[in-house]
Amino acid sequence: MIELTNVFKTYSSGIESLYDINLHIGKEEFVFLVGSSGAGKTTLLKLVYREERPTSGKVVVDRVNVAELDASQIPFLRRNIGVVFQDFKLLAKRTVFENVAFALRVTGAPRSTIRRKAMQALELVGMLRRVNSFPHELSGGEKQRVCIARAIVNNPPILLADEPTGNLDPATSWDILQLLDKINKRNTTVVVATHNKSIVDEMKKRVVVLENGRLVRDQQLGMYHV
Amino acid sequence: MFSSLEFFIVEAFRSIRRGGLMTSVAVVTIAVSLTIFGTFLLLVLNLGNIVSVVSSRMDLTAYTQKDLSLDEAAAIQLKLSRLPGVEKVEFTSKTEAWNKFKGDFGGKFALDEVIRENPLPHTFAVQVRTPDQLTQVARTISNLADIDEVRYSGQLIKQMQTLVGAVRLGGLSLVILLSLATLLIVVNTIRLTVLARETDLYIMKLVGATNSFVKWPFIIEGVIIGLLGGGVACLVLKVSYESTVLRLTQALPFLPLVGDTFLLTAIYAVTVIGGMALGIMGGYISVSRALKNEV
Ligand SMILES: Nc1ncnc2c1ncn2[C@@H]1O[C@H](COP(=O)(O)OP(=O)(O)O)[C@@H](O)[C@H]1O
Ligand SMILES: [Mg+2]
Repeated sequence: MIELTNVFKTYSSGIESLYDINLHIGKEEFVFLVGSSGAGKTTLLKLVYREERPTSGKVVVDRVNVAELDASQIPFLRRNIGVVFQDFKLLAKRTVFENVAFALRVTGAPRSTIRRKAMQALELVGMLRRVNSFPHELSGGEKQRVCIARAIVNNPPILLADEPTGNLDPATSWDILQLLDKINKRNTTVVVATHNKSIVDEMKKRVVVLENGRLVRDQQLGMYHV
Repeated sequence: MFSSLEFFIVEAFRSIRRGGLMTSVAVVTIAVSLTIFGTFLLLVLNLGNIVSVVSSRMDLTAYTQKDLSLDEAAAIQLKLSRLPGVEKVEFTSKTEAWNKFKGDFGGKFALDEVIRENPLPHTFAVQVRTPDQLTQVARTISNLADIDEVRYSGQLIKQMQTLVGAVRLGGLSLVILLSLATLLIVVNTIRLTVLARETDLYIMKLVGATNSFVKWPFIIEGVIIGLLGGGVACLVLKVSYESTVLRLTQALPFLPLVGDTFLLTAIYAVTVIGGMALGIMGGYISVSRALKNEV
């Protein structure tokens, strides 16, 4: 589903964020991408949904090398990859419903479909009661749920989550992870970037460890530390 | 695309409402420059009209040699009326002219006492078809053997035509400059509403919006702003032109002002369409510039 081959990423500032990454993530896998802050987790995810391009190497998503993808094709790539952003990236002046519906609107879906699918996604994340609220009226955990609803509303085969528990208390973090696990069980490949040790250890999933831009460990049923 | 049209329109109105003061600035800017544009158009149109009407009323006067007989004069009249560009030739015999002259002064002097013999030549009043043929016709006539002299007010016509040309040229350059300035202001105004939503644009693109999907609401916003501005300009022009024509025709009834409704409608339509074009370009340019910075 996702395959990185000899991927290097050096930002224009000269910082080597990723160094010779080789990684294969299969269909419907659940993978934790762990590493301390600045290790290159966000950069790796950005390469997958083409917010950034690798300096060299191949990033193949669903048989397409997105590193070489034409700019006009990027929107269609992104409709197949749900992304849960660390800072949520919700549209501030739109309601919860509108935020989720927006990911469907861009596909040109008819109004009735938009309404039905958005409500389904909001139901799945348990936010049906807050459809008319604005982002600033929500708690961190609630924003995260809306963000997840928006990410999955198109039924993408891939879901990327960047530090989804970054600003949440342990109980809420746990709820969010349960939700991501549920989505994974509905045939979605899920990649979660995190430095939340207790959650990684508890979930017993595949763990890929980054350190200073290098992939140093890749382990099934892994723990945060060896 | 069409399933999204309703959404784009709603988005455009939303943006206009949020734009508030800036939207009004853009509308007023477009209205002001299009009003100036329209004023120039009307001015040039009317000046052209006045010149062509006035010069078509102008004719030249040809004086024959003094000792020409009436028969010879009749032959010349025939010749003149057959010249290319000549519309009409009117003959006044030297006797008629002399009697008229005497009649005009008759009360005051006994002219016959002073001047025994009629000193006047026969005259022809020649009307040309179009004013620009005047000079050519005058030259041809003055070269005829029996013609002594040709007089016409070609100088005046030339001056008027130069004036119209200058107004036309000046108006055109002013209109071009004005359009560019307006476009600049409109681009920057819409750009402010774009900038205020740059984060939104970035998020929209991240969740899979195409560039054109993001652009449409701004283009429609441009159309609405442009239509408003153009509509205001059109209204101002129509009302002020009609009242000006009314007042001028009362004061100067002989002035040939343009009252052709088709022509005027065309000018008003150009104003509205021009506003729309400015708005569309403004919206398109500003959102495209913002999108260039995005991935
Ligand atoms: N847009 C950018 N320009 C320059 N350097 C960047 C940029 N984004 C990230 N970096 C650098 O790349 C390295 C990896 O960052 P990141 O991928 O965000 O790490 P993580 O998500 O694991 O905290 C850091 O040293 C960071 O400063
Ligand atoms: Mg990060």
